[in-house]
Amino acid sequence: MTSLFVNPFHFSTISENPADMLGDFYSNNFEKKRVDPDSMILNLGPQHPSTHGVLRVLAELHGEYVLRAEPVLGYVHRMHDYMGQVKTAAQFLPNTGRVDYLHPVAWNWAYVGAMERLAGLEVPERAEYLRVICCEFNRIASHVMWWGAFVLDLGGVTPILYAFEEREKINDLLQIVTGSRLTLNSMRFGGMGGDVDDRFLRLAREFIPWMRERLKMYDQLVTGNVIFRRRLSGVGPMDEDLCRRYGATGPVLRGAGVAYDTRRAEPYSVYSHFDFDIPVAETNDCLGRYLVRLREIEESLKILEQALAQLPGGPIKHPKAPKATWKAPAGEAYFAVEGARGKIGVQVVSEGGKSPYRVKLRSPGFSNLSLFAEAAEGTLLADALAILGSLDLVIPEIDR
Amino acid sequence: MTGLELYESWRRLGAKVICRHEFAKTGLTFSAVMPLPLVVPAAAGLLAAGYFLEDISAMQVQEGFLITYHYDSTAHPGRVAVRALADARGEAPSIASVYQGAEWHEREASDFLGIRFIGNPNPVPLLLPPDFPGRPPLWRAEGARASLAALGLFGQAEVLDPAWEPIVNPPAPAKEEKAEEAKAEKAKKGGAS
Repeated sequence: MTSLFVNPFHFSTISENPADMLGDFYSNNFEKKRVDPDSMILNLGPQHPSTHGVLRVLAELHGEYVLRAEPVLGYVHRMHDYMGQVKTAAQFLPNTGRVDYLHPVAWNWAYVGAMERLAGLEVPERAEYLRVICCEFNRIASHVMWWGAFVLDLGGVTPILYAFEEREKINDLLQIVTGSRLTLNSMRFGGMGGDVDDRFLRLAREFIPWMRERLKMYDQLVTGNVIFRRRLSGVGPMDEDLCRRYGATGPVLRGAGVAYDTRRAEPYSVYSHFDFDIPVAETNDCLGRYLVRLREIEESLKILEQALAQLPGGPIKHPKAPKATWKAPAGEAYFAVEGARGKIGVQVVSEGGKSPYRVKLRSPGFSNLSLFAEAAEGTLLADALAILGSLDLVIPEIDR
Repeated sequence: MTGLELYESWRRLGAKVICRHEFAKTGLTFSAVMPLPLVVPAAAGLLAAGYFLEDISAMQVQEGFLITYHYDSTAHPGRVAVRALADARGEAPSIASVYQGAEWHEREASDFLGIRFIGNPNPVPLLLPPDFPGRPPLWRAEGARASLAALGLFGQAEVLDPAWEPIVNPPAPAKEEKAEEAKAEKAKKGGAS
C-alpha cells in the first residue's frame, strides 16, 4: 500500500536480527528487554477469555512467575478523538454510547456535560433526575456483569448466568427510556431525549427490593465461599501511592482505601440531593476491590430509591436547547463523571466552529490498566489474571 | 496542597502565565503555562502535593503543539492544568519518570500527533499499529489550525512572560475597522429600505 504522506515517526516492523522474525513488532520489542535469558515469553491474547475482548498481554515468565508484563493495546482502536473533531457535536454524541459497552450512559453524560459546560446550557431538573436514574441503573448492570465475569475468570461458571438475569431486567428498563439495549444514547444537549412512563416507574420500584435480595444471594453463593476468599486475599495489593502514580480511579482507588468519588469530589447534576456513602475497602487486594464493587451496588440502589421518590415533574428538555446545526462558542471545558470503572473525563476545546477543535476522552480503564505491569511483577501467572479481572476492563473504552 | 499554594509554587518555578478559572464554567480551578523543560519539576511538585495525573491532552495549533497535563487531587478536589507549548518539531520532555502512568498518555499523544516525548521508557506506538501509513491522524492542514489566542483557554490570567501577552490578551480589532464595518452595514440596510 502506498501513501501520500511519509510518517516521520514510522516504526519499521522488520527487525535486524533474523531470529527475531518469529514474533511481531511488539513481541520483538518486548524481547529486547528480557531480564532472564532462560525465561519464556508468553503471549496472552488478543483472543483469550480472561482478557475480556481483545487485550493482549506479553509476559516474561520464570516457571509460573511473571518477571515482567506489558499490555499491548489498539486492537479495537476507533479514533474517537478524530471523529470528535470532524463531526458536529450532535453527530458525535452517538459515538459516546459506543466507547464503553457496559456503562454507556456515563460516557453520554460526560460528553453532554462538557458541551453544556462550554456553552453554559441549562438542564431542567426532571432531566437531571432522569440522568441520575439511568446512570445508576446502568452502573448496577455494569457491576453485576463484572461480578459474573470476574468469578468466571477464577473458574466459577455459574454466577455469570445469574448476572445476566439482572442485566436483562435493567436492559428492559433502560430500553423504555433510551430505546436501545447496548449502545444507549438518550441524552441531549440541554436535557434528555426520552422520558420515563408509569411502567418504568413500577418496574424500577420493584427492581430495588428484588436486587437487594439478589445481593444476599451473591454473598451466600460467592462472597462467603472460603475457597473464593482464599483465592483473592492478599493477591494484587495496590496502595494509594501506586494509584496516584498511575492515575487509577474508581473502585481500584477506593479499594486502596481512598474515599474518592467524582460524584462527591466534583459534584455535578443533582447528586448533592442524595444521601449515599462512598464504600472503601479494608484490604487493598483483589478481595477488597471485589467487596467495594458489591457495596457500590447497594449505594446505587439507595440513590435510585431517593431519585425515584423525589422525581419532579416538568419538561425533560430546556426550551432553549440547541438544534442539530448548533455551533458551540469558543472556549474550553472539562467535565468529569463517575463511571463504573472510575473517573470519566471529556475535554472539549472549541474555536466557535461547526465541530469542536479538540475532543479528548479520558477513560478510567486506560489509567487503571496502565498500573498492571507494575502490579503483576513477581506474581504467579494465575494471580496476574485475577489482578487483570479485578481491574474491571472494558477494552473498547481503553482503546477508544 | 491547595490551589492557591500551587499558584505560588508555579510562580516560584518560573511559569509564563498563571490563570484562575471558574470551575462551574470550565471544569478547571487553576492552570499554568510552563516553559517546556519545567513540566517535569512541575509534575514532581504536584506528585509531592498528592495530585494524580488525569490525562495528557495535546492539540495542534498555529504556534506548534499545545500539551495539557490535567491533574486532580483526592484530598483537595479541583482540577488543575499545566500547559506547555512545543514548537512544530514536536519534542517534549517525558514526565514518566515522575508519574509512571504518563508513559501511556505520552505514547497516545505520539500516535495521534507525532509528538516525541524524550525520555519515555518505551516509546513505541500504543493505539495505532507500528506500520501505520500516513501522517498522525490529529494533524491539521496548515490553514485549519487555530491560533492559541482564538481558543480562549486562559480565564483570568496573570502574564509573567511578556512574550505571552499578545496570546493571552489578544489586541482587540482596531476600532476604525469596526466603525467602517458598521457604516457599510448601515449603508446596505439603507439601500435595501
